[in-house]
Amino acid sequence: MRYETDRREFLKGAAGLAAAACGLAQAPSAEHAKTAPTGSGDAGYGVTWYPFTEHPESDSCWSLSAGPDGRIYAAACAEGVPGGVVKLVRYDERRDALEYLFALDEVVEDPGDSGRATQCKIHYSFVPSMSDGVLYMATHLSGPPIDQPAYSPWHSWHDPERCFRGSALVAFDTGKDKVLWWDTLIPKEGCRCLLIDEERRRLYALSYPRDHFIIYDLDTRRRRDVGRIGSINSQVLFLDRRHRVWTTDDYGHLVRYDPARDRLERSPFVLPHDRRFQTGWHSVFYDAVASPDGQCVYAGTWIARPWLMRIWPHEGDWPRIEDLGPTTQDRDITIPYDTFLDHCGGLVFGGDGCLYYVASRWRDSMYNPLPAGHKEREGVVWRLDPATLERTEVARLERPDHFAQYVSRGAADRNGDLFFGHVGPRPVGIFRVRPPADRRKKDAHLPIRIWG
Amino acid sequence: MRIPGRIRAVAGDSVPYGPSDNAPVRRRRPQRSRTGEGPSTMAKKKYDVNAPGAKALIDEIVHGTFMKEGTMVAFPTCFPGASVPIPADESRITALDITPEGIVYGGTSGRAAHLFVGMFHGVTGVVFDLGAVEGARQCTAVCCGRSRVVACVNDADGGRLVACPLQGLPFDLIQEWGFARSPLDDWGRPAAGEPILHALADASRSKLIGITAGHVFMADLHEGKPQVVGAIEGAGRLAIGPAGGVFGLDGDRHLWRFDPRNGSLERRAVALPAGTWDKAGLRWARDASSGLLYTADAGGNLYAFADERAFAGPLGRVPLAPVGPMAVTHDGRLFGFCGSELARMFCYDPHRKQVRNLGVAVSVFERRRYGYVFGDAVTGRDGEIVFGEDDDLGHVWLYFPRIEPRT
Repeated sequence: MRYETDRREFLKGAAGLAAAACGLAQAPSAEHAKTAPTGSGDAGYGVTWYPFTEHPESDSCWSLSAGPDGRIYAAACAEGVPGGVVKLVRYDERRDALEYLFALDEVVEDPGDSGRATQCKIHYSFVPSMSDGVLYMATHLSGPPIDQPAYSPWHSWHDPERCFRGSALVAFDTGKDKVLWWDTLIPKEGCRCLLIDEERRRLYALSYPRDHFIIYDLDTRRRRDVGRIGSINSQVLFLDRRHRVWTTDDYGHLVRYDPARDRLERSPFVLPHDRRFQTGWHSVFYDAVASPDGQCVYAGTWIARPWLMRIWPHEGDWPRIEDLGPTTQDRDITIPYDTFLDHCGGLVFGGDGCLYYVASRWRDSMYNPLPAGHKEREGVVWRLDPATLERTEVARLERPDHFAQYVSRGAADRNGDLFFGHVGPRPVGIFRVRPPADRRKKDAHLPIRIWG
Repeated sequence: MRIPGRIRAVAGDSVPYGPSDNAPVRRRRPQRSRTGEGPSTMAKKKYDVNAPGAKALIDEIVHGTFMKEGTMVAFPTCFPGASVPIPADESRITALDITPEGIVYGGTSGRAAHLFVGMFHGVTGVVFDLGAVEGARQCTAVCCGRSRVVACVNDADGGRLVACPLQGLPFDLIQEWGFARSPLDDWGRPAAGEPILHALADASRSKLIGITAGHVFMADLHEGKPQVVGAIEGAGRLAIGPAGGVFGLDGDRHLWRFDPRNGSLERRAVALPAGTWDKAGLRWARDASSGLLYTADAGGNLYAFADERAFAGPLGRVPLAPVGPMAVTHDGRLFGFCGSELARMFCYDPHRKQVRNLGVAVSVFERRRYGYVFGDAVTGRDGEIVFGEDDDLGHVWLYFPRIEPRT
């Protein structure tokens, strides 16, 4: 079976197609904002779907993170609709429901109906600050102006009426539920991903579309542009114990910013990829998570046929890399599959010390002939034991109205539950995956993830 | 929950955006009609993405932004698969020149300044890093003589000239090749403590004429040793006029003229046309067939300089200012970039007397790269335009103009 749906087309038309084409239930109403357990699996993991019913235009949840308070925050983004804006959402464990905190366009005085590109999403850009309870977030672009069907930052760069004002950085006090301040992090550009070095009071970001590496000083509230990396944004930054920031370039090489050298450096080595047909090009990082002991980082790539690897940043001049292989099923490599179908994200460590991630699975007459009645696509929750590198399927993410193969980010909350952000038909939402009791622990969000 | 009002603007140091990055954005208001009789009946409506024409408009926004004519190919600063590119923060290409045989030489700026050679004809396909100039962080000109290439570079002590022999063609870049990096000869400083702003080779390719912050200088392209020929406050770039004179900006309203053949320097030789002239950004392009020079003022107005005495124009206005590097192809069309941060390509067609916006540079062959900032341009052997990308991980960009339909 071929899947030719362009991602933008998918985002645009998915809400209607979901019900029409699949004959499935309509999206739940606001009164049924949480659905009954929807996932499946034999390992005792309960899956619950929480759609963003109070933001029906939301078509993507690109950011999901534990806050410094150990609660789960998610970005209800609306990038496929003219004038769409992002709203901040939090999972309320007492009510077992979502609460809607604010719309970003209102907070940063950049309304969605301005005629500019909108504050439509937060893209891998939640970063918690543990010392003061602040959750920083930075907005991203791509949502069209209200009276246009699409937005291109290249097209409108020099247009003062249309050009995105810039990525807005918001400091939200999670203890007082209060926006403390906001600032423009990157004029005219979006923030693809964000990282905090709390000890040094710095934020690091990648800009889009120009792919510049940005440093923002939280004390002086000044930014510095260190330079351009390439043409394909990496989707994540990570930090090592020596305060070095890591990401990738267009060609699948590690890129490192060392504050001591104040320079972006590139590894000569190409990261693991499928050598049958990939070259390293576009094998930029999609997601990365540090092991709880801080010794290594697990990362996956942002290209169809995503690859998993383990990186030891403190070993050697350039890190030792372990190739952990593909995360999704084998398939026809004569077709340039899209990352919307062939995808892996949501890397998170659970309370049991194991790595969890969500990889897509789909029906393929040759490579994966699923039984009749099985969903065409699904998001599979995998559990990987760092000691043995054995991986086990523990759950499948299912939303009642459509497929759920695409997960952006994952996080563990203070109760040891896992949460995953989803991208799909409107309204999108998040999944909660409750591990068995012996695999949960209190404060499972610690040590806190400090990048989006 | 309380949300405070607007926060103070905090100026960044990298990307200017007008009065305040944090300026509040107004909502769309009802639009006044063109005749001014009052508000029109409709404010901006939410776009219906299913409306007729939506797909065409999306295509225009997404694809029509890039390279509306011709083809760009971005070539890395290496022999792909056989060597690594110049380090990204040392590879901002700010100077280019080309030999009559079509071999391209370039210089970079950034954390270090490198000299390189590029070969794209025959069985070649290579950029070879000829080496970094010790201590230098900026290359402002590369000049090809008959046997040597000379680069003008700046370091903490001002500008100096370095040179090395021109490269011969390699035998074959499949299986059999050999490259060696020779030491760069230091030819000294034309004016102590003064950075070199620009330089060029004269029409005979035997002399180099350059400008520092305070002096015009000349050097023999075979023997070196730059010598000052006059004191002038340097600004902008130099150009060779239709009759072989070298021209540079002389104050706000004039050009000086230097004759390389007899060494005479004429002050205020030519008056600039009315316009706003940006000292730092003065650019030129020369039509090799006719000797005609093109330049642009700070507002993006194009002018022609045909007889070494007076300008013609404005010929037209390019889409954005400032105007960046430009070059003229064999049929007389002028191609260049305009606009800061994220430049757009333009074409001036002298036959149609028309300026066209060609969009943002992108290379889609094998590995996509966007081109945002360019530092220099030369015309290639077959009329292709070679642009040097003045950005981190700068590439050599070859632009193949559209072949105009027969009329």
